[in-house]
Amino acid sequence: MNRIAQGLTLVLLGAAALTATVPTDLYLNWVKPAFQPFLIAAGLVMVVLGVWLVVAELRGEAAEADHDHGGHAGNDAAVAEAYGHGGDHGHDHSTAPRVAWLLLLPVLAVFVVAPPALGSYTVQNTATESAAPPERERSGQFDDGLVEASEGEVVPLELRQFVMRAWIDEDRLLAERTVELTGFAVPADDGGWYLARLQMACCAADAVVNKVLIDDVPAPEADSWWTVRGTWVEPEGELYDVNEHRFSVTELEEVTDPPDPYE
Amino acid sequence: MSERTTPHHTHGSEPPPGDPFVPEREGELPPDDWGRRRSGRRTGTVWLFAALITAMAVTHAWFSDQFTGPAFLTWATIFTAICFQALPFLVFGVALSAALTAFVPASAYQRFIPRKASRAVPVAGLSGALLPGCECASVPIAGSLIRRGVAPAAALTFLLAAPSINPIVMIATAVAFAGQPEMVLARFVASLLAAVVIGWIWVRFGRTEWLRLPSRQPVPGESKWRVFRESMVHDMMHAGGYLVVGGLAAATINVMVPREWLLTVAGMPIVSVLVLALLAILLSICSEADAFVALSLTDFSPTAKLAFMVVGPVVDLKLIAMQAGVFGWRFTVRFVPLCLVVALAATFLIGGLLL
Repeated sequence: MNRIAQGLTLVLLGAAALTATVPTDLYLNWVKPAFQPFLIAAGLVMVVLGVWLVVAELRGEAAEADHDHGGHAGNDAAVAEAYGHGGDHGHDHSTAPRVAWLLLLPVLAVFVVAPPALGSYTVQNTATESAAPPERERSGQFDDGLVEASEGEVVPLELRQFVMRAWIDEDRLLAERTVELTGFAVPADDGGWYLARLQMACCAADAVVNKVLIDDVPAPEADSWWTVRGTWVEPEGELYDVNEHRFSVTELEEVTDPPDPYE
Repeated sequence: MSERTTPHHTHGSEPPPGDPFVPEREGELPPDDWGRRRSGRRTGTVWLFAALITAMAVTHAWFSDQFTGPAFLTWATIFTAICFQALPFLVFGVALSAALTAFVPASAYQRFIPRKASRAVPVAGLSGALLPGCECASVPIAGSLIRRGVAPAAALTFLLAAPSINPIVMIATAVAFAGQPEMVLARFVASLLAAVVIGWIWVRFGRTEWLRLPSRQPVPGESKWRVFRESMVHDMMHAGGYLVVGGLAAATINVMVPREWLLTVAGMPIVSVLVLALLAILLSICSEADAFVALSLTDFSPTAKLAFMVVGPVVDLKLIAMQAGVFGWRFTVRFVPLCLVVALAATFLIGGLLL
């Protein structure tokens, strides 16, 4: 890989990072929202570095090739093109290995495929399910505002928060409360469907599933997004032993994809 | 492409040094075969990228609807996610390592880092706790430390310790395992122990010729900014290219391995630890996120989860590929098994004592 190719690869990679963050929200499909400033900074650094390398390559070579024409050197690519690699002063140490061409793959991914957020395929096939925390830390860690909300008020909860309540709240404060959840539909094996949402810590590779089972409304199309209102179906016996959290729907409304598909 | 049409009147009167293929010039335009090999290659490179960009635009416009297979899209999402999650850390690490190379004189290291390698190792291990970054940043930084004369064993200890015990990782672990401070402590102690022991083993048995030392040596009198640029480009190309290799492998594993397989072994005491260590290697999750994934593997014992968090930052596919890119395969085939064995031993020891 010669130096022009290295420079152009860096520019394209930087452009891909910037395209995914500034004019579009593509990056939200892959990483946490907090990554935006870092991705922008990294993208800018790569574009600048790539341009710097290309310019220095063209200009530097040209100037060193022929000092008589130093004034012309670096006008544009054409000048250096004419000089060629005249100043053959040992830049071979800085050719990059072939593997560096692979840096174009993320560029292709962004500009050609534009991978969508993970959805029902991941829930059904690969992702780990969220888990109840161990017994000894099961108190006073709800961040969902259920207690603060007045009786009879509809409480909007993240699926993560709902599942946490359903799993570890021994006081069962969730019972009989109307809550509102938003997520995407995933067909379940036995007729019902799941309303699911992926929770991620850093990027899509570590996504963990939170889901509730719904069986009193017909299953919508997989991956369509819904806001549902309804109540928790209180399970018999120990909460901790429950493996499916059930939800009874009173109201159901389709939503366009929320801007951040993850929690 | 403007360079095609510009007259070549700026040609020098003398053939550029080192280039025997200067054509005779007749009239304004050079003959068709004027292009020298490298110059032609440069034009070719520009055309290649122009063709690539056009092809991307065409594919995006006409064929992007064809990409509908859920397995492929899931794979593509995870691959892209790994790359873009690592990218800021990589750029940060590469820039910091280039700055260390270009602007910090070698004498500065000798003042802070003990000359004797066996004493430098624990210092390097503890200073790993200071760098907020993940493994993608630490590989190029370790490369530049070796380049500046730091003992390889100390630089390697830093390479292992920095992604394992830095403040962000420790905070993430504390958040994930809220209410289990012993898990946070176990992670810190086991990771630091593993990094230092590996460093000492390297002091005793390691050979410098296994390391393909980073090729770029600053030339005296060269402008510092030029050194900075060259070092940064060099590391981006080597570490970045292999990061993509690691991302490809990790995304493939992530999509292909059903999680149910794991549950069948979760109950077995030693096997479960080994399985989670293997999973950490294959998934290549960033060390700042692995605690959350470890937490979600509820069926496994605390020691197995500890193995996931101790092994992941020191050995994983992405890291192996990047180490091969920066230090060469001769080094990597020796270093990676050593890291794995010592990290597992530290896990069993500390897990047995604390968890």
